[in-house]
Amino acid sequence: MWCSFLHEGVFSSSLSRIRVIRDDLIGMDYPVVCKHCVDAPCIRACKANALYKDTGGFTKLDKAKCIKCGECVNACPYGAVFQNPFDKTPLICDLCDGKPICVSKCPTNALSIHPATEIPVKNPAQLGKRYSVALSEYRVLLERWGIRVKYE
Amino acid sequence: MSSTNRKLYGYAGRILRINLSTRRIKVEEVNEKLARMYLGGRGFNIAKLYDEVDPSVDPLSPENKLMIATGPIPGTGFPLGARLNVSAKSPQTGILGDSNVGGHYAAEMKYAGFDQIIIEGRSSRPVYIYICNGEVEIRDAEGIWGLTISKTYDALRRELRDPGVQIAAIGPAAENMVKFSGIFFNRVRPAARTGLGVVMASKNLKAIVVKGDGFIEVAKPVLFEKIVDEIELEVYTHEQYWPRRIMGTSRILLAANKIGVLPGKHFTEPVLPLQYAFEISGEKLALKYNVKNRACFSCIVPCSRVFVVKNRENAFLSEGPEYEALAGMTVRIGNNDLEKALRAIELINDLGLDVISTSEVISWAMELYSNGQLTRNDTDGLELEWGNMNAVFELIMKIAYRRGFGELLADGVVEAAEKIGKGRDIAFHVKKLEMIQADPRGLKGYGLGFAVSSRGADHLRSEPFIELMDNAELGAKMFGEPESTLRLGVRGKGKLVAYYENICALVDSLGVCKNLAENMNILNYEKISKLIESVTGLELTPLEVEEIGERVVNLERAYNAREGINKTHDVLPTRFLKEPLKKGPSAGHVVELEDMLKEYYKAREWNPDTGLPTIEKLEKLGLYKVVKDLYGIVKSASFFEINKSSRSERG
Repeated sequence: MWCSFLHEGVFSSSLSRIRVIRDDLIGMDYPVVCKHCVDAPCIRACKANALYKDTGGFTKLDKAKCIKCGECVNACPYGAVFQNPFDKTPLICDLCDGKPICVSKCPTNALSIHPATEIPVKNPAQLGKRYSVALSEYRVLLERWGIRVKYE
Repeated sequence: MSSTNRKLYGYAGRILRINLSTRRIKVEEVNEKLARMYLGGRGFNIAKLYDEVDPSVDPLSPENKLMIATGPIPGTGFPLGARLNVSAKSPQTGILGDSNVGGHYAAEMKYAGFDQIIIEGRSSRPVYIYICNGEVEIRDAEGIWGLTISKTYDALRRELRDPGVQIAAIGPAAENMVKFSGIFFNRVRPAARTGLGVVMASKNLKAIVVKGDGFIEVAKPVLFEKIVDEIELEVYTHEQYWPRRIMGTSRILLAANKIGVLPGKHFTEPVLPLQYAFEISGEKLALKYNVKNRACFSCIVPCSRVFVVKNRENAFLSEGPEYEALAGMTVRIGNNDLEKALRAIELINDLGLDVISTSEVISWAMELYSNGQLTRNDTDGLELEWGNMNAVFELIMKIAYRRGFGELLADGVVEAAEKIGKGRDIAFHVKKLEMIQADPRGLKGYGLGFAVSSRGADHLRSEPFIELMDNAELGAKMFGEPESTLRLGVRGKGKLVAYYENICALVDSLGVCKNLAENMNILNYEKISKLIESVTGLELTPLEVEEIGERVVNLERAYNAREGINKTHDVLPTRFLKEPLKKGPSAGHVVELEDMLKEYYKAREWNPDTGLPTIEKLEKLGLYKVVKDLYGIVKSASFFEINKSSRSERG
């Protein structure tokens, strides 16, 4: 909502770069937004080289180069690339240049922003099966806090 | 007038008219005059209803019109702005039927391109309407007719292959013409009061689905952002913020117990021992069952709670309940098992009934059963003892499908009492709408609000929540009567109720939540005037803004007057006027309705003998047509004055 206001100057969920998938039967509200993948399928799919990684590692769009083919939309495994219904350009989260308005507007702090960090973990298999299982569960939690676990 | 071609920001700008008999679809523009006079939502609805649905129309005939309207605020990022109003002539009360609902529908409807949807006529077979980006499809609903609300919700999402569609649907109760069934938005958010679901069912309309990719522009973005920041700060720092987030309105149960205004066992037991009250309270719900919060569109007070009942036999997950449902399925029917209450509420919602009216008919039958006026022979063998939930489950099914004893109750408590000729004095209703879960003997402003409300016994027309704070200083400051804001006070209540009625009508027209304007008391006319300017570009003075609320209230009164409602209908059931409360902190009190009514008519500048708006008042509000209808006087003051009045004090 505020996303579209900041980027497009109007209020609209179809122009927002973050969408909430809701289900009233099971009480689900799940935000879908660009994960800024390291090896981004959308960038690989882009034939016009309009999508690129900037120096901070964020996926960015060069609107002038975009040919509006929609390949990036199909390529995203999370469904986090949306298409502008009016001019068909992709809507990809640009993290508002480091100060995301969705985070600052979120009333429940469900959204938060963390600097990307990475912690290395040496071969977990050496420490046994239980350790591996525990670590893989813990990794999910860490990734929610913005910490990537890298197996060495 | 030149004003019609000025761009109105904030609105989607169009009104959709669908005739189900002829399948003709018409689109009208929202013009500046309509917006200036009524703003939107409840205002738009009553304006159209007054013009188009007159006393000759039978509520269940094709001539009745179902209207869904929202205001300029929903769809913008304004916090607590996601409400819409549903109106029609009510089959339950025969007068104005109107209900307000939150959720995500209002915003989606505007993104789909419409501020108001008017449904006319009657389809020859079951259909549902799909509105997507300004396009309207009338689609077959034979396959989903008869399904419960949750199954309908699921089936429609699958049929349209889109999880993002917003759905307003009716349940089996409405299809079976149970008079108090509602229209359910977002599955668990009903526009339940005054039986609007039946109007929808009478049109053979199962659901209205909206989906939109459009957008809403605001007139003054910088000012708008500033206002939002200010309001958000006030909300976040408000003392009610956290209680509302944790418990929603369910927290009122313990608060009502503390001041002794619970509707225990059909308004005979106003207080419960604390340990029993706690077991069925919002606090208990929050501690044991709630798992997460949900919010309406762009709202920063996520007061709806998802709860899980972890029970080995039949665990279930759902959303809610609010105070009215909670108290209705616990204290009002003498039940003290929270899990069973949650299950009963779920069942009522899924069948599409109004939980308030359902709790009244059940507790009414229970009171008759307890004093022997009804026996097992009358109730199909159901043992309607206080708190017998197994019987309640069965009875709810019987009501929804009009089976046996349920058939009697399905027309509402008034007709049930008429039919069996018993219990007329304990049928708690005003203007045929069943009473909510608060005893007016301990909340006298609410009592007055019930009596004069334009849709019957309901608190959401005036909601003088300020009473619960029991702060005399506020009353002295706001109304010049210290008693007015004391819950057991009498003097000044007329002014209090009139004031809050105006605010309620105004925020319903704006599309804003009453929690912001009434309960948290954050919005005042100055702020609303600025807000309207920043969103729509219409410059209205605080006085003009106040007049909009007043105009809506007066027009609704006139609408009801045309249906034959007058002062004699502004009453409360005798128990509240004659029998003092026996227990608790409000013991010994009755509602001194006569005194408060006099003061109310005076505050409203209505005729104290008839209870109708005076000619002067109506003219001042620019309602010339109403003067003609009510008094048979054709005013010579023609277009010139109408234009003048609608443009007065501008800039």
